[in-house]
Amino acid sequence: MSTKKLWRKPLDIEKFKVPKAEICLIKDRCKGCGYCIQFCPRQVLEESEEINVRGVHPPKVVNPEKCTICGFCEAICPDFAIFVLEKPNEKKETKEAEKNERKK
Amino acid sequence: MSNPQVVEVKQSSLQKEEPRIGVYVCHCGLNIAGSVDCENVAKFAATLPNVVISRDNRYTCSDQGQDLIKKDIKEHKLNRVVVASCSPRLHEPTFRRACEEAGLNKYLFEMANIREQCSWVHLYDKQDATEKAKDLVKAAVAKVALLEPATESEVPIIPKALVIGGGVAGIQAALDLADTGYQVYLVEKEPSIGGKMAQIDKTFPTMDCSICILAPKMSDAGRHPNITLLTNSEVQDVKGYIGNFKVKVLKKPRYVTKDCSACGDCSKVCPVIMPNEFDVGLAVRHGIYTPFAQAVPSTYVIGMEHCLNKDGVLKCDKCIKACERKAIDFDMKPETVELEVGTIIVATGADVYDPTSLRNYGYTKFPNVITSLEFERLINAGGPSGGKLLRPSDMKIPETVAFVQCVGSRSDRGHLYCSNICCMNTIKDALLIKEHWPDTKIYVFYVDIRAFGKGFEDLYKRARKEGVIFIRGLPSDIYEERKTHNLWLVGENTLQNDVYKVNVGMVILSVGIEPRRDSDVIQKLLVLSRTNDGFFMEAHPKLRPVDTPTGGVFLAGCAEGPKDIKDSVTQASAAAARAGILMAKGKVTVEAITPKVLPENCKVCGLCTKVCPYNAVVLNKDLKHVEVIEAACAGCGTCGAECPFGALYMRHFTDDQIIAQIDALTEHDADKKIIAFCCNWCAYAGADFAGVSRMQYPTNVRIIRTMCSGRVAPKFVERAFVRGAAAVLVAGCHIGDCHYINANVQTQKRVERLWKKMERLGLNKERLQLLWASAAEGERVASKVREMQSIVQSVTKEEIEKSKKMTEKV
Repeated sequence: MSTKKLWRKPLDIEKFKVPKAEICLIKDRCKGCGYCIQFCPRQVLEESEEINVRGVHPPKVVNPEKCTICGFCEAICPDFAIFVLEKPNEKKETKEAEKNERKK
Repeated sequence: MSNPQVVEVKQSSLQKEEPRIGVYVCHCGLNIAGSVDCENVAKFAATLPNVVISRDNRYTCSDQGQDLIKKDIKEHKLNRVVVASCSPRLHEPTFRRACEEAGLNKYLFEMANIREQCSWVHLYDKQDATEKAKDLVKAAVAKVALLEPATESEVPIIPKALVIGGGVAGIQAALDLADTGYQVYLVEKEPSIGGKMAQIDKTFPTMDCSICILAPKMSDAGRHPNITLLTNSEVQDVKGYIGNFKVKVLKKPRYVTKDCSACGDCSKVCPVIMPNEFDVGLAVRHGIYTPFAQAVPSTYVIGMEHCLNKDGVLKCDKCIKACERKAIDFDMKPETVELEVGTIIVATGADVYDPTSLRNYGYTKFPNVITSLEFERLINAGGPSGGKLLRPSDMKIPETVAFVQCVGSRSDRGHLYCSNICCMNTIKDALLIKEHWPDTKIYVFYVDIRAFGKGFEDLYKRARKEGVIFIRGLPSDIYEERKTHNLWLVGENTLQNDVYKVNVGMVILSVGIEPRRDSDVIQKLLVLSRTNDGFFMEAHPKLRPVDTPTGGVFLAGCAEGPKDIKDSVTQASAAAARAGILMAKGKVTVEAITPKVLPENCKVCGLCTKVCPYNAVVLNKDLKHVEVIEAACAGCGTCGAECPFGALYMRHFTDDQIIAQIDALTEHDADKKIIAFCCNWCAYAGADFAGVSRMQYPTNVRIIRTMCSGRVAPKFVERAFVRGAAAVLVAGCHIGDCHYINANVQTQKRVERLWKKMERLGLNKERLQLLWASAAEGERVASKVREMQSIVQSVTKEEIEKSKKMTEKV
């Protein structure tokens, strides 16, 4: 079973609602240790190019849709500079947005 | 590998004494006497050294014939017996028993094959056939004089069995053995037992619900006090031999303990979602999951490769928090379980053919082209669509459906063999569609419909009656209408000499079965052979269909070849019975043809350890000489052929005995003869087959039997040439089919070395021929001998004189 590649989109994938995450950064608290970037299991964050008041590069969110709200970044941040909220489900809007994107 | 506990069996053994040989030449009615003057042969035999008595009789294998031998052994104090009759592959056990009954060690008996390899292949040349028979008897007498009594050793068998693979075959074999009272370890790679059968909706021809009849067996296996279930586990290492296997099994962690009540709370909160392997990717599962509702064991499992905690850092603890019974344990480590078993049943099953590479069918390109396994999940009430046959493109039930047969089977674009199950599976699937949606129009495009089993034809007729349209001729192309995702099939109707173009809503590719992609792992661990198709090979296709060439290892289910559930279960019970026979006996005797080490000759060079296919020759601890692990040794003799110092004494096929045969055969007219060395299992059996089929070939070939062509040491070939033989043939099993795994690879190397040497000495290297022939290829042996005849005729006297000095150092 496991040796074969699975390529189909599962038929029931719509039924599985994955909560959307809102990742909040308090950039000026960040001291640039990079723990959140390094330990994120889904590679949601990356180092940004901007410089904050402490003179370091705070992280930026690059793959927000990948976030599973495990909250590990929140737990590991030594400076309480990052936390994750669960977005209320806005399914319709996202669908429309997707459509718009496709049109483009 | 430790030394086996060897129990010596007491048998009447003889002190070394002057040989007193009795020769019995059998007429076999007219089978032999028709083209060999048996009386003359018997008279000739009486003149040979050490022959005390020589007789000819009509049927030596009859009770009277055997009684005569027994009487003579007592009256004439015979201590060696030669019977010149049929092939030793046929009646050697009969005469050995007769000798034993008369108090003679059975290893002091030798046969001369004057039927299959003489009278039957030289039907019209009585004079030459008689001369050949005399030669063969002379060689047998020369060998028998040098034979030595031997005692067979016994090896105890551990009354425990290992079953590899937890599909229906493995489950059945494990249950049968466990019910007999043996301890069974059932190893399954996946998190649950059940195998492919668990994925199927209904079974043909009875239309039983597959999981409904399998689930009780699965839970029986899970609950049985004699069965230890090792799921999520793989066999890593197998050492040892029949009756005494030491097996290492890697048990991968589930990360969920036995406290799991399978409530599913953890699964609900798991943020990881991915396609479920059990539903062939048509449904979603979480990172922590149970493969299917009836899984055994029902304990959940975490697929660590997709878990957020795969790096060993606990990042996500949602499942831990959700589990009331505290059954989740991320600290679980893989463990290696060491088992000691006496027998092993290989029930590793098969894979399903992946039709992606057949681009003209458009699988993976067009969403509505599905495989028969995907169909099973769609039509299954417990599947992702709740039993509705939905088109993946628009989730609608199609009005027309086409089945395409032989996808990946019976074609050089996939596999050449017939996958056995697909015809009936399609007929069953078509009937299932008709049952749920009677108005669906169903086409079946086929090459041949093979409805050969019990109740199969009835089901086929029923499908035709219900209006399933069968069209002979596979589509050459399938293409898609972009808007509707409907599919067009184009091809030739070979019954009507017409081209068809059919529009359907869904295409189901009836995919074949192929060997497990990781079959080579088990093959290497258990030293099995595989057929050209890639499935494991049985010891004998007719008479030992579940045994393997490796003692104590048996086959069940699709690992041996494509078969349906009924056949898999039948074979599993057969394999369990075969394993049970061994374990009930509690011991096994090893034929006394294994080598003995002569420590004084051994230089500890290690050559023999490298060529042994069974790793049965090992260096002993203090490195003074090598040792043979008798129970692991199969007696091919390739070590003896490799040893340059004569330190390995191949019992019953010693250097002296074989050289005595060569000398006897080359005593007269050597320059007209071909000396052939044939392995017992393929080439010698092939020569026998040529006899049974009465294939005629020249009379000047003289065959010497060895267990394996790997026994043929270069010095034997050289000896034949030195004695003036015109040509030498070395014949064995095809490469890859060797009865001793790969010992014939050594044969090839040795013959190639000899060819080089002959070239260097300015000899015609064509005089030494190498032939691979299977037991069924009698014509191959016969035509080789015919071909070599012209070489024999072209060899000049000077050439022969030159080769007589072959071994002299320049």
